[in-house]
Amino acid sequence: MDRMSDELTRLFAAKEARRRILAAQSFPEKIRILVRLQALAAPILRARGRQVRVWAPESSTQSPLQPSLGNQVDTE
Amino acid sequence: MEKTLQMLNSLERDGIISRYAIGGAIAAIFYMEPFLTYDLDIFVAVPQSADSILDLTGVYGELRARGCRVEGEYIHIEGLPVQILPAYNTLIEEALVQAQDIVYESIPARVVRAEHLMAIMLQTGRDKDRQRLSAFSRQAGWHQEILDDILKRHNLKSRWKEWTE
Repeated sequence: MDRMSDELTRLFAAKEARRRILAAQSFPEKIRILVRLQALAAPILRARGRQVRVWAPESSTQSPLQPSLGNQVDTE
Repeated sequence: MEKTLQMLNSLERDGIISRYAIGGAIAAIFYMEPFLTYDLDIFVAVPQSADSILDLTGVYGELRARGCRVEGEYIHIEGLPVQILPAYNTLIEEALVQAQDIVYESIPARVVRAEHLMAIMLQTGRDKDRQRLSAFSRQAGWHQEILDDILKRHNLKSRWKEWTE
């Protein structure tokens, strides 16, 4: 139980640290991440009957749908 | 978002609005980790008319004339669904006046200050505001002294206490 508790503590601390790293990104980079989030979430929301529109991709060297950062972002 | 901000800047330059600032979720994202939203909330002050300072008819008319499309409570400005909100109370008025200048991809813009955003979340008071405020207070840079002053002047101290203790 203690080992599980230690592991959870470590995991939650890592999540919080990752959130702070994301929070420290530049505003344009955050908007690029947001647009990727919108694209990822849109099919699910539309399947639930909610009408959503994904913003036009922001100018970037990365593809707006590049999955690498998709793994690093939590939705609320 | 650049073109949307350029449009808002042109409205301000042409005197259609007196001042604008990014508020809501996108303003929160300026300070904290990105989270899912599809809306861009813009607080505006309009030149005072005899009727009401909250009347946005002129703003909407001008945006339509510039090719923007109204859909429900949103107006699509350069592809982004924007909700234009007049400064509907003294807290929003203050947040708009004191909004900070930023530059977004070389485009000048304004965003509501962190402490005002926190106060607006408290005042709005929905469940999602409470959750957002909790994360925001951990991730964003903000000053307790400035927040205390805002909360005191806008009678929000008891809710802050209720939400944070």
